Amino acid sequence: MKKRAITLTINGEEYNLNVPVHYTLLQVMRDQLNLTDVKYGCGRGECGACTVLLDVGKGGMQCKPTDKKTTYCTMSQSKRKPILACIALAATMDGKSITTVAGLAQNGDLHPVQKAFVDESAIQCGFCTPGMVLKAVSILEKNPKPSEEEIRNGLEGNICRCTGYVKIVKAVQVASKKTATGKR
Amino acid sequence: MASSRILPEFELLIPQSIKEAVDLLGKLKNKASVMAGGTDVVISCTKGFGSPNVISLAEIPALDYVEYDSKSGLRIGAMATLQQVADNADVQKRYPALWKSAAINGTPQTRNMGTVVGNIMRASPSGDCICAILAIGGKVVLRGSKGKREVSIDDFYIKYRETACKSDELAVEIKIPAPAAGSCNAFARMTRTTLDLSKVNVAVRLDMSGKTVKEARVAIGAVAPTTIRLKKVEALLKGKQITDDVLQKIVETVPTEIKPIDDVRSTAEYRRDVAGIMVKRIILEALGK
Ligand SMILES: Cc1cc2nc3c(=O)[nH]c(=O)nc-3n(C[C@H](O)[C@H](O)[C@H](O)COP(=O)(O)OP(=O)(O)OC[C@H]3O[C@@H](n4cnc5c(N)ncnc54)[C@H](O)[C@@H]3O)c2cc1C
Ligand code: FES
Ligand code: FES
Repeated sequence: MKKRAITLTINGEEYNLNVPVHYTLLQVMRDQLNLTDVKYGCGRGECGACTVLLDVGKGGMQCKPTDKKTTYCTMSQSKRKPILACIALAATMDGKSITTVAGLAQNGDLHPVQKAFVDESAIQCGFCTPGMVLKAVSILEKNPKPSEEEIRNGLEGNICRCTGYVKIVKAVQVASKKTATGKR
Repeated sequence: MASSRILPEFELLIPQSIKEAVDLLGKLKNKASVMAGGTDVVISCTKGFGSPNVISLAEIPALDYVEYDSKSGLRIGAMATLQQVADNADVQKRYPALWKSAAINGTPQTRNMGTVVGNIMRASPSGDCICAILAIGGKVVLRGSKGKREVSIDDFYIKYRETACKSDELAVEIKIPAPAAGSCNAFARMTRTTLDLSKVNVAVRLDMSGKTVKEARVAIGAVAPTTIRLKKVEALLKGKQITDDVLQKIVETVPTEIKPIDDVRSTAEYRRDVAGIMVKRIILEALGK
């Protein structure tokens, strides 16, 4: 086997792919599918720039959206797990569903975490931002009201070379308040 | 040339059952490496140390269990992630050493991908779950073409990154006994930053009878070619009450039992300086002091 046929759902869209077995998920997404919102930083699991969320349904079952355009959003009800596309082999992801930062907005409205990053200016060069935003989403899905320490622990594994951590933490706090009160 | 963006080519095999995986291993032997979470295997590929054949366990059903039973103890399947173990209430309550070694391991992302069994099989002298399980005690369950066998964690590590697991064997689970009444355990490590690997890690299990130590197991990592047990320290603890004198003797004994080296994470001198204090503190932590 040098290539493997897989079905991968990305942001609710199903892709039938024939992937070389030594390709990472990151390589397939960026080079084969041109989904460049997933960033290549270190390629060694250390920076978090390539973070994507693995959609996990109830009981650990993977998500199988029925209607591509709308129902994947219901996945945000469950806990999506951040993983690293740079050290996941695409060929081992058959049948999986993932979310990238480009799949967070609903009906043209930014996700509360995205909005908070913009409002709090938690972005400098922006290279770490897709990974940071996805990580922040996963923190809040697991724990809607995290303490500052829990936010900082949760953000471990995502490195910002522009060192904007103070504003990033603030943005997660703001998003947490907004989601807790149901405002978008 | 090795690159972290484009991996060198290899053959990927995705068996659908344990039997199929064992058959493949029997055929390919040391020309294949097993991949669980891949947080180590894929990174080895990026560095050009990959194997020509990678056998992924990703599609073998029902290997991702973490199960506790008050009689038979804890069983951790080969695909149970570090995060699953860290989130397990029985692990948190009964095996705080193992819980901590999983909960602080790497980053949230690598904990969602990496497995506890992968940590054990990676056989790194700084492996955090190795240190915890060596202190608590347990068995690695191996499956090969000749059937199933269990190897005690005490006999598992042979030399630097070499284990008792043969090239045609697969680790299917780790078994850890249920803690007896009065038994406690704890783990701690020292790193440069939280996501770095340990420069020293320590773990203890103390089986207490009132204030007296009946049995002690003390493990330390990153100070020898494999994680080791400190037998002299264990002997100092056995049958004793934990007084300041005993603790002071332990602090002095630890450096005589380890052989640290200088490397990127620390120096031999520093490791020797802190190891004794770390063991003392982890004993007190296990006792809730
Ligand atoms: C950013 C980063 C941070 C890390 N931090 C830590 C840390 O803090 N502490 C720590 O201890 N480690 C750390 N690691 C190392 C590694 O992630 C862990 O050891 C992890 O538990 C390995 O599990 P895995 O399932 O990903 O292993 P894999 O990469 O799949 O495998 C690891 C090794 O075990 C073998 N193997 C795996 N499963 C089996 C099996 N069932 N049977 C036989 N052989 C098997 C493989 O062939 C390979 O040699 C880190 C790694 C990264 C990338
Ligand atoms: S690119 Fe750095 S963690 Fe994946
Ligand atoms: S904003 Fe530049 S790396 Fe974070």
